[in-house]
Amino acid sequence: MSGRRVGTGGVVRNEVAKLRHLRVGLVAGLMVLGMVALTLLSTLTSAVFADPARRSWDVPLAGLSLAVPLVCPLLLALVASRMVDVEHQGGGWLLNATSGTTPGVLCRAKLVTGAGVVVVVTAVTHLSVWALGRLAGIDAPVPVGLWLGFAAAGLAVNLVVLALHVVLSATVDNQLVALGTGLLGTVVAVFGSGFPAWSAHLTPWGYYSLVAAAGYEGQDLVRTSPSCFSVLVLTVTAAALFGLVTSRFDRQETR
Amino acid sequence: MDTVTTTGLTKSYGRQVVVQGLDLRVPEGCVYGFLGPNGSGKSTTMKMLLSLVRPTAGEVLVLGEPMNRSTRRRQLARIGSLIESPPGYGHLTGGENLRLVQRSLGLDEAQVDRAVRSVRLEEQLDKKVAHYSLGMKQRLGIAMALAREPRLLVLDEPTNGLDPAGIEEIRELLRRLAGRGVTVMVSSHLLGEVDKAADVFGILSAGRLLFQGSREQLFAAAVPDLLIDTSDPHRARAVLDDRVAARVDGGSLRIPGIDDQGTARVVADLVGAGAPVYGVRREEQSLEDVFMDLTRGGRL
Ligand SMILES: Nc1ncnc2c1ncn2[C@@H]1O[C@H](COP(=O)(O)OP(=O)(O)OP(=O)(O)O)[C@@H](O)[C@H]1O
Ligand SMILES: [Mg+2]
Repeated sequence: MSGRRVGTGGVVRNEVAKLRHLRVGLVAGLMVLGMVALTLLSTLTSAVFADPARRSWDVPLAGLSLAVPLVCPLLLALVASRMVDVEHQGGGWLLNATSGTTPGVLCRAKLVTGAGVVVVVTAVTHLSVWALGRLAGIDAPVPVGLWLGFAAAGLAVNLVVLALHVVLSATVDNQLVALGTGLLGTVVAVFGSGFPAWSAHLTPWGYYSLVAAAGYEGQDLVRTSPSCFSVLVLTVTAAALFGLVTSRFDRQETR
Repeated sequence: MDTVTTTGLTKSYGRQVVVQGLDLRVPEGCVYGFLGPNGSGKSTTMKMLLSLVRPTAGEVLVLGEPMNRSTRRRQLARIGSLIESPPGYGHLTGGENLRLVQRSLGLDEAQVDRAVRSVRLEEQLDKKVAHYSLGMKQRLGIAMALAREPRLLVLDEPTNGLDPAGIEEIRELLRRLAGRGVTVMVSSHLLGEVDKAADVFGILSAGRLLFQGSREQLFAAAVPDLLIDTSDPHRARAVLDDRVAARVDGGSLRIPGIDDQGTARVVADLVGAGAPVYGVRREEQSLEDVFMDLTRGGRL
């Protein structure tokens, strides 16, 4: 009985160890690739970009603003599902509970681990778009403030969606439900920009349309500023809810 | 001192009472066979001992300390357990699974190695758990429970799905652990699986404890059938008429649940009526018979 108690750090390290063979790296790679490719495609086919006089960072930013909601909801659902489903499959909830790690703790560790993946994906994606833009000959100065705001707000929305999916995948054993929800989320995220702004606040996926840095209005490219305040409110609310739900998981009886 | 003590341990789900008023006493260093048919509440009880399920009423003392939500984390470090189906992440190897347990309990390499050796899993550590046989999974589950070097080991049907050799091996392991002072509580719905390994038995039926005690007490508690050897069992039965529930069994008359005085009376009646009696004996009983008797009748 020489057990030395291990804190949250150990739980997170275990989560990282569980990622082996789960192909989460592959899914993360797909996210980056998908977003960069879509951005590249929309940039190179843009009439605005074709005109060297009007060529600006707004073009790839508009492309990326559309690529994020198109790619992220489903693949985030997949990341969360891959991480959580192994607990359902392997009797992991019970196994961990019998060593004193309750389901809520496990879910929080999964969010931290998944968040690490999402941060890396976000950074690599944005840096790639910037590098490719330079290569494609965009010489204008980078709108640093706008871009950072867009990246940070997008990251926040992604983390909220990830948290939601961790909870969903943990609650409903059948992972088709989680993936179906991810698909539905994609639809909401992509078409959200076509609806009035208030409706975007109704679901987490709607917020993707609120973080856009630029977009097309008809033929015109316009810069938009991400609604940082809305996203902040969303993040705080989601964090509180996630804390509440996972602490309920901790108190629940093991199935 | 008893390693596990419960008082009035009860669990209800809605109106259904699945465990009722259990007063368990699991002595230190013994193998405690926790027996009962399917659905009798064995797993639910074990989950309450581990504080994975909250009792509706009653208390649990483990190693002299209360076991509840506030003490659970500390207590679980010295209780190894395997509940229901054996756990294990299929996408990882056995070794990687053990590494997870090692990290979450802060164990050292040597402890894990010892656990692996005691279940003879050394050769299978590099294989993915998804490719394990059921027997290997059970062993891995036990190794994960053993690695913390527990004072109490709670195993829920650990021999489920094992072949006879596998069952024998687990039995030996349990005896060996008890020999080292570990208290082992092992459940089964088949008496034969824990029969030879257990020193103390607890028998559960429909959520109630029918019996708790040693093997000798268990035998004493159940009255074996009386067999009367006679040359004309049909006539003998007619003599006894409906006063006792006798039936013809081959060349003898079988009378269940009859005590010594009843036996004397029956023999006197038969001899008085001129029925030739040339043998009176109690049937040799296996523990299995006793168990079936107890659980079927729901009585003691
Ligand atoms: N979470 C639950 N909700 C409602 N009923 C439950 C729950 N868990 C167990 N039960 C009921 O409690 C009873 C006892 O179940 P338990 O699993 O403890 O039996 P068991 O003795 O372990 O059976 P088995 O030998 O089949 O494993 C069963 O009738 C079961 O349906
Ligand atoms: Mg059971």
